[in-house]
Amino acid sequence: MQDARIRLIALVSLSIATFLSVTGALLTLAWLVLSPRPLKEAMKSAAFWVIILFVAIIATVTQVTGNDGISYLIRTGVIILLAFSVYMEWHPGEYLDLSVWLFGKKAGFDIGLAVEMSIQGLHEASREFARIRSALLLKELKPCIGMIPSVGFLLIHTRLMRAREQADLLATRGYRAGGSCCPVFRTSYQDKIMGFLAILILFLSFFPVRDIFILQM
Amino acid sequence: MKLSLSAVEWHAGSWKFRADATFTPGVHLVSGRVGSGKTTLALLSARQLQPDAGTVVCEDIRSCTLSFQYPEYHITGSTLYEEAESYGVDPFAACARAGLAGRDEEDPFRLSRGELKWFQLTCLLMRRWDLLILDEPFSALDCRGKLAVCRAIEENRGGIVLVSTHEQYILPKTDFLWEMMSGELTLRGTLPDAISTWESAPALVRRLREQGVLPANLTRDDILEAACRMHE
Repeated sequence: MQDARIRLIALVSLSIATFLSVTGALLTLAWLVLSPRPLKEAMKSAAFWVIILFVAIIATVTQVTGNDGISYLIRTGVIILLAFSVYMEWHPGEYLDLSVWLFGKKAGFDIGLAVEMSIQGLHEASREFARIRSALLLKELKPCIGMIPSVGFLLIHTRLMRAREQADLLATRGYRAGGSCCPVFRTSYQDKIMGFLAILILFLSFFPVRDIFILQM
Repeated sequence: MKLSLSAVEWHAGSWKFRADATFTPGVHLVSGRVGSGKTTLALLSARQLQPDAGTVVCEDIRSCTLSFQYPEYHITGSTLYEEAESYGVDPFAACARAGLAGRDEEDPFRLSRGELKWFQLTCLLMRRWDLLILDEPFSALDCRGKLAVCRAIEENRGGIVLVSTHEQYILPKTDFLWEMMSGELTLRGTLPDAISTWESAPALVRRLREQGVLPANLTRDDILEAACRMHE
């Protein structure tokens, strides 16, 4: 999906639909299958499976204690999959454009800049983690649980250093608040269809399954 | 002792890395602009990155290490003492050699990046390596530090030393010159002949070449000697 505006509308609609009912969650899953590339990328992420594991543990405990753990697992699992898939489609500068389009050149620019820097930071942290892992292997140290605090501290330290450098750079360039940005969006035919389907799923999720499908006994 | 990259390819989006090279004992200088693929070459050579195509083969290489551009990535100890120990070298000797004598109980994060870089390189260069890969070893160092790294590289002769850098002024005594251009690795040859085909040569070397004077090698002394010859 190329147009970040439609992607945002789809994300909000599908998140609500998934949260409202299992039907909404299953329809959202079907929507995700229609664009397989980001879905495949999301499924490759180790972080996705770690989060799903935690959700599964909570769902099991919920089910064992007499509540609806299965519904929780389906809905939360699909929301996380949706979030990872949308994240995989991010291109640098996209959320700055989107935020300026939504909230204008002052607050919109500031929000967009903060979002862009955060996402960029996540990407950099992931690259840094790979380098740290390599450095450990080169020292013939096997990554283990005991190393989590030192690796975590190192990642936080490098992030803080980068944040300070970025802040200095912005201040040097005279940034105080707001900025000039002319958002440009490209909308494909497929984007329009996917956006329409996302809104349709939101409406359908308000109705119980028996009202959508006429079941004959 | 040999490191061979046979028809190696690696992709990142539309960007493509290609190398077909053999590295034998000696100092190999890999020059190239920022983003040309020097770090990718370093990671592939240290087998920290799997190629999409081709093979990386190490023959008779028993010890190998790679130094990243940012020294912070290597920190595993909470003191300089622990840090030096993690490289398997004498902590007191490492601190003294890096100009940090008596500071062995200090937190590595308290050092400036230049101090940390020199400390990390000192620890690495105190050991003998069959394959030593230095990715941007001169970054964050001052002139004195860069000259000290050059000296230490020359002392580490015997194994394969791969130095990838975009440094323009202070370079080590080099045996083989390679160039990384838009993701493709090219051998320019041995010194001094390689200088005549070196496309991303530093400005000073280009100027000497234009005057028909080739330095014997790339060290500061060699460049100065060639500059003197230019005025004869």
